[in-house]
Amino acid sequence: MVLDLDACIESLFQRQLLAESVIKEICEKTKELLMSESNVVHIKAPVTVVGDIHGQFYDLLEIFKIGGYCPDTNYLFLGDYVDRGLYSVETISILTCLKLRYPDRVQLVRGNHESRAVTSTYGFYTECMKKYGTSDVWHYFTDLFDYLTLSVVIDNMIFCVHGGLSPSIHTIDQIKVIDRFKEIPHEGPMADLVWSDPDPGREEFAVSPRGAGYTFGSMVVEKFLHENRMDHILRAHQLCMEGFQVLFDDQLSTVWSAPNYCYRCGNLASILEIGVEGERHFNVFEAAPENERPTPAEAQRTLFSNGVPTGLFSNGGSNGAGVGGGGLNGSNGAMTFAGGASGSNGGIDPVQDTIHYFL
Amino acid sequence: MSDGINHHREGLTTSHHDWTMLQVGKLVENQPIVIIDANSSVEDASEVLLKQGVSSAPIYDSGRKMFVGMFDYSDLMTYILLVLKKMEVPLDDQTMEMRDLIQKTNRSQNVPVKLVSDLSGNDPFCTVLAETKLGGVVNDFGSGIHRVAVMDSQGNMTGVLTQSLTLDYLMRHLSEFPQLQPVMQKGLQQLGLTNIKVLSVTGETQVLEALITMSTHGVSSLAVVNDQGALLGNISMADVQHIMKDLRTSWLWLSCFQFVSKVRLTRGVETGEDQYPVLDVNAKSTFGYTLSKLQATKVHRLWVINDTNHVVGVVSLTDVFKVLGGYIDS
Repeated sequence: MVLDLDACIESLFQRQLLAESVIKEICEKTKELLMSESNVVHIKAPVTVVGDIHGQFYDLLEIFKIGGYCPDTNYLFLGDYVDRGLYSVETISILTCLKLRYPDRVQLVRGNHESRAVTSTYGFYTECMKKYGTSDVWHYFTDLFDYLTLSVVIDNMIFCVHGGLSPSIHTIDQIKVIDRFKEIPHEGPMADLVWSDPDPGREEFAVSPRGAGYTFGSMVVEKFLHENRMDHILRAHQLCMEGFQVLFDDQLSTVWSAPNYCYRCGNLASILEIGVEGERHFNVFEAAPENERPTPAEAQRTLFSNGVPTGLFSNGGSNGAGVGGGGLNGSNGAMTFAGGASGSNGGIDPVQDTIHYFL
Repeated sequence: MSDGINHHREGLTTSHHDWTMLQVGKLVENQPIVIIDANSSVEDASEVLLKQGVSSAPIYDSGRKMFVGMFDYSDLMTYILLVLKKMEVPLDDQTMEMRDLIQKTNRSQNVPVKLVSDLSGNDPFCTVLAETKLGGVVNDFGSGIHRVAVMDSQGNMTGVLTQSLTLDYLMRHLSEFPQLQPVMQKGLQQLGLTNIKVLSVTGETQVLEALITMSTHGVSSLAVVNDQGALLGNISMADVQHIMKDLRTSWLWLSCFQFVSKVRLTRGVETGEDQYPVLDVNAKSTFGYTLSKLQATKVHRLWVINDTNHVVGVVSLTDVFKVLGGYIDS
């Protein structure tokens, strides 16, 4: 088929889903592109760095409004595109299209949520089932995730990764030899890069309370930067109420780009704008205004870009559950959950709706 | 070293103790005391556990001026099963309190927690004096007692010493106990903690069914596996707290897979950090690494998996103390 990427991107900006066959095609083509990327991609400033998005599509639109649209602005996304938010499918679809369309201006790093094990229970799998009726789209994207790079270096000075450092990795060269084309393992350097967290109260590594990766302290950071002749580590992975956090005497920053996380945390978000001279500026923003978001009812009504409705209102394969309720659409042996306390249409509790929407 | 243990160099003033000689009173120093009133309802008592972030608390009867037992998630689970009439206890085995409880639940009356105290029979109320040496308590921990109430010589409770608290203390002061180094270096296989048949349920199993299985077999958690037998997650009695929260009893009828999802989603938002979907440790790991992970993640057991993600064993806190207890005499 002839792929019109600009048309796809345009549809997605209107929050219209791409047809399953189109998703399959763009994932195939993007895998080919990513296959030749190293585990450590080197880029130059200026670039705008984005942290966790977690399916908050309307806030991604805010990011483009604030930071500029592709290809006018170079973007580096640090992972966690899916799960938890209501629009993981739209989010990952548009980012994949943008990467395919402007491969040198968009970099996508793998986060801990770009994983089959995690997306099975944190929302993305269920959202795919709901919007497409089968798990094929989930398979296309999770296969694509296996190809995403693990890290990016900006101007040979700033090391960018989703989570953090690993006791098995002392130099950039050690990252390059990892075989990344697989599901994120439970343990080992690849797991550590996407799961680790800094701990300003420590100097060394310690086992992480998350159950994967490590926490690492000041001496680890200093040693890594010194050994690799760089001056800053930039990562995401942890919620920051102010949208960002700077640690270890400005040797490490966390950037977090999902405002009002899960539609209830009330936090700010930010994007990090790195200028040509390497100047770092955190551009802080709030959640997109309420009147620019769909109502819960509208959120359920998704359309394919050819106008065919999907999800609850599609013709085939739908479970016919009412608005606000949740039903598993044939995944895992058809356990339909009757929505408990939040089955009513009147209750606008985005969190309850979110949780029940997905289960 | 990447075994997760902080290998500090010893300072000149580090003192070396025999960890078995620690007085238990020292480990519970300054512990905030959480006590449940014997006449509060089961729902209120669960609230206390939830709010205080503990998995058990002693029950005090102000009328009789004494502690009458412990309330923990195991008891709560047994209570829920009784209320739902999912448990049949033969008349001969019913104690007077249990009969009272069953009658009350049959009539759907508000049940005072004193009737639910130690209901599961799993963890009877044990007390020790503050001067008791840790070495003595470790054997109790190794045989399945999860906690002991520490009393002073006047009979006042000074704190509750749990398996978790003890592990945390030992790991934080590891450099003071060089005699523990050899066992830390041992592999799980060497210690016989792999190659154990563990109880599991599929993701499809209803939560209620899983609770009944736990209760029947006297275990506090089950591995949740997919249809290929690979580890998906974990369901444990402590998860019962999520059901009691806001009385979300409808969650009992979810599949374990859905339930595990819900619990994860809520927890991640509260801490701003998502946890790894399964809490496990590779069969090739060392005992020391396993303890570090138990301490860091604050769970009560880690499933032991092989390279294909199949469960080949489990290391619970009880197993940890069984191992440590075995080293005391050698």
